[in-house]
Amino acid sequence: MLNPLRSEEEAFRLLLYVLACFAVVIGIALVVRLLL
Amino acid sequence: MEAASVPHAAGHGGAEHHGPPPANRSSVVPAPLLGMLLFIISEIMVFGAFFTAYFFIRIAQGDPWPAPGTKLPVIPTLFNTLILVSSSFTLHWAEHGIKKGNRFALKAGIATTFLLGATFLFIQINEYANIGFAPHDAAQQTIFYGLTGLHGAHVFIGLTLLAIVTIRSFRGHYSPEEHRGVEVPGIYWHFVDVMWIIVYTTVYVI
Repeated sequence: MLNPLRSEEEAFRLLLYVLACFAVVIGIALVVRLLL
Repeated sequence: MEAASVPHAAGHGGAEHHGPPPANRSSVVPAPLLGMLLFIISEIMVFGAFFTAYFFIRIAQGDPWPAPGTKLPVIPTLFNTLILVSSSFTLHWAEHGIKKGNRFALKAGIATTFLLGATFLFIQINEYANIGFAPHDAAQQTIFYGLTGLHGAHVFIGLTLLAIVTIRSFRGHYSPEEHRGVEVPGIYWHFVDVMWIIVYTTVYVI
């Protein structure tokens, strides 16, 4: 299981996961803003 | 933090140990991991308090966000976000480099990380100077400055740690066997980046 406190590598991997999730959210929000 | 993967008996001097640990030690979690864990939990609670205020005025109060007559610089801050996120990549490169004994990667990666972090903070201060509202203007502005300022304070702390790591790197202090001094600030820096992604999304985008 991913433990970002165990090592820098795992913390970096968590950052990548968060980045991927929020990139989708930010992308959708910006597109909706442009359309409305 | 290598200590996390070391059996806890080693944390008590490496000798075979029977009975309860000393009063100031946990028998379950190694001390460095416990310290970092408690620190990160306390940090999450601090940010949680500010996010509670943010969601209270937006959802419970139903106030508009941002306050009427104000505009948040969404796109310029998106570029600033990319600067901060890229600093995590250079930090990872530095950490990966020292693990392989590549001193150039360590020095170049850490110095670049520091410069990118400093650029982020400089742009944020410049944003404060030109945004056109003050913390006391409305509840929304107070929350805006509170959340982004709290994060900025964390970036400043991270930059202080990175400055120390940069100086030590150029003095040849780290090795493939002993690089915890890079690893622990690295975990902190990635945490600061994760928090910014959440702050940016909630404050500027949604």
